[in-house]
Amino acid sequence: MSKAQEFEPKIVAYVCNWCTYLGADLAGTARLEYPPNVRIIRLPCTGRIDFNLIIKALEVGADGVLVSGCHPGDCHYTAGNYHARRRWILFRELLDTLGIDLRRIQFTWISAAEGRKWQQVVTEFTDQTRKLGPYKELYATGPFPDVPAPETASPGVKSFAAESELREVCGKLLAEGTVKVVIGYGARGPVVVTRAEDAERLVWNNRCFSNLTAYLKRKEIKSLGKAAVIVKPCDEKSLVELEKEAQFERKDAHVIGMACEGVDQPKCAHCTARTPRFADVTLGVEAGPEPQTSPSPNRFAALMAMPPAERMAFWTEEFNRCVKCYACRQVCPMCYCERCIVDKNRPIAIDPAPSTKGNFAWHIARAFHLAGRCVGCGECSRACPAGIDLALLNISLHIAAQKNFGYEAGIDPKAEPVIGSYTLHDTEAFIR
Amino acid sequence: MSEIISQSVLRGLAAEWIAGGKSVAGPARVKPDLVLYRTLRSGDDLLLEGFQRPSNSIKDFLFPKAEKLYGYKIHGNSIELIENDSPEPAQVIIAARPCDAAALPILDHVFNWDFHDEFYNRRRAATTVVTLACSAHDENCFCTSVGLDPGSERGSDAILFALGSGQYEVRCATEKGHALFDGKTEKSERTGKAIAGPEKRFDAKAVRAFVTTHFEDPFWNEHALTCIGCGTCAFSCPACHCFDIVDAGPAAGNARVKTWDSCQFSTFTAHASGHNPRPVQATRQRQRILHKFAIYPEKFGEILCTGCGNCARNCPVGLGVLSVATEINHG
Repeated sequence: MSKAQEFEPKIVAYVCNWCTYLGADLAGTARLEYPPNVRIIRLPCTGRIDFNLIIKALEVGADGVLVSGCHPGDCHYTAGNYHARRRWILFRELLDTLGIDLRRIQFTWISAAEGRKWQQVVTEFTDQTRKLGPYKELYATGPFPDVPAPETASPGVKSFAAESELREVCGKLLAEGTVKVVIGYGARGPVVVTRAEDAERLVWNNRCFSNLTAYLKRKEIKSLGKAAVIVKPCDEKSLVELEKEAQFERKDAHVIGMACEGVDQPKCAHCTARTPRFADVTLGVEAGPEPQTSPSPNRFAALMAMPPAERMAFWTEEFNRCVKCYACRQVCPMCYCERCIVDKNRPIAIDPAPSTKGNFAWHIARAFHLAGRCVGCGECSRACPAGIDLALLNISLHIAAQKNFGYEAGIDPKAEPVIGSYTLHDTEAFIR
Repeated sequence: MSEIISQSVLRGLAAEWIAGGKSVAGPARVKPDLVLYRTLRSGDDLLLEGFQRPSNSIKDFLFPKAEKLYGYKIHGNSIELIENDSPEPAQVIIAARPCDAAALPILDHVFNWDFHDEFYNRRRAATTVVTLACSAHDENCFCTSVGLDPGSERGSDAILFALGSGQYEVRCATEKGHALFDGKTEKSERTGKAIAGPEKRFDAKAVRAFVTTHFEDPFWNEHALTCIGCGTCAFSCPACHCFDIVDAGPAAGNARVKTWDSCQFSTFTAHASGHNPRPVQATRQRQRILHKFAIYPEKFGEILCTGCGNCARNCPVGLGVLSVATEINHG
């Protein structure tokens, strides 16, 4: 017998308690035979099957993962499977960007009456996985072509005309007591100004990189009283999302919007937001008609042009440099959890060591928690001391949300967030 | 008389060491705007000029970001421990910056103070450090403020001084250094010299005096307001050495692992009860400066900082030891 024939795949099946588990049970009581390769893990509902579990199964050595629950309309919790479906649509796009072999993950709906379908699905998926062989390519290194590096900031400082007006406005806000604190930019980075005379320290130039809305969540800042926050039009988008998620109320902050000429960051090349839309006060010259949307950034296109194995090799090399300093999380305005999943240790959900697997697990969790929420400020990439272009993952999910649900984070304050809502007709071509 | 070596011979030597089974680490360009110390695949990978300093530090090779302490296997109710006592291969760190090499004696103290860290010591014994004296400094450099300079030999087994036109003077400081270079260099009349250091940016004694007398001071709160609490400064610091011990589960092959930790993380001092003695970022920033300029010096007689400036270069929000120390100094 050859080696290939000896290989028996390990398959993990995450199934919902109400439909698929009973379907599998029915297959058993009806004496329907199917391969014993599948290990069933019963969960309350597909809506509760965390995406981390899928990754974890592959990490610990599964060659394939089956995820199954009630058919649309049959959920015993009304809509758990609709929520799950929406997440799967986005999650598959992220996995594809990472170069994970999508043939190794099968989503399906199997009802309590479909013992035969369970038999068929398990048999066929096992056969297919057996043909694919052991999943050795997971997080494997290897050669890959160059991905163009994002354009970097020019070293010079170019002050913008609105700088003096900005200082004046902020000084006045503090002097009149409208706000207690101004979160703005100083010569070296962000500054927090509490005295009117210190408004002179504020700058407005092409080095104003930070997305200052990330400071609104910090309790040290909150304790100072009402804040004025200086936003670029791109940063302002995070306020839209934070407000939707009940993390921010307009009355709690005075928003100073800056009409923007660009801050020499990769995102600026294809930026369409040049003028703030919701600010309490807007400073600077509105920079003419908004530029046309340019095609998606070429570094993402270059990444996606590679075959999956090369994409995986690319990410393995990138993530191997990660030191888990969590600068990506800390600069992100949308990362506001009191305790991040990676800091939880009872039990440990994500391997805390900066190992290949631990780093993949962390970056997958980070990127997917931002699915449909990331406004593309690019701070994660800029902050990374290891030069990992994390924004590529966010771009992937941004495109997926737009393509599948017509949703763009930070644009329409009334649009329902992608995660947390669903429609009855979300695409499900990939679900069996 | 001096000993000199050309860049091509140096690269050849590095290739020879690699071929001989040594692990060789040095600066290499990873991306157009990113230079890191990393394990070199060939002598040509070695980057010797055209950058200020790598974004990481050489501690990566002595006190790695993740070190397996031991493995374990679970059999029913019993646990089998698997020692990690594999010897470390000999390694050479080449073209380290003096501010990196100077951090090694600092780490030596910590890892041999009451407990002798066998993992660190094993790597240290197997490592030879070849430093390249600086030929430039930037606005983030402040070695002269903490008692070092661009030609400092502290922590180095050998030090190279650029002579121009691809030649370097080699000065071996230890047996290990001689073992690498004896017989590989040429005699010359030329001697190298490091550049003058950056102007002294602050007075370390005054910083120490301030931090030991201003534990509760509004300065900390004001200063730390923009700190976002990531670990970039600590992880790119050649001298920061705090670590955590974590259990990497089945996915990582069941191991207990020593990983870097940072005093800037809110979970660094979090108690199981929920209490946190350093509840806000100001207290964590204060700890970092206090440790570097007072706590460590009290114990070991030197500052826990080599002035490399990596904290400032890597900080996403423009903070770092230099900005705090200068602010303290100039009021």
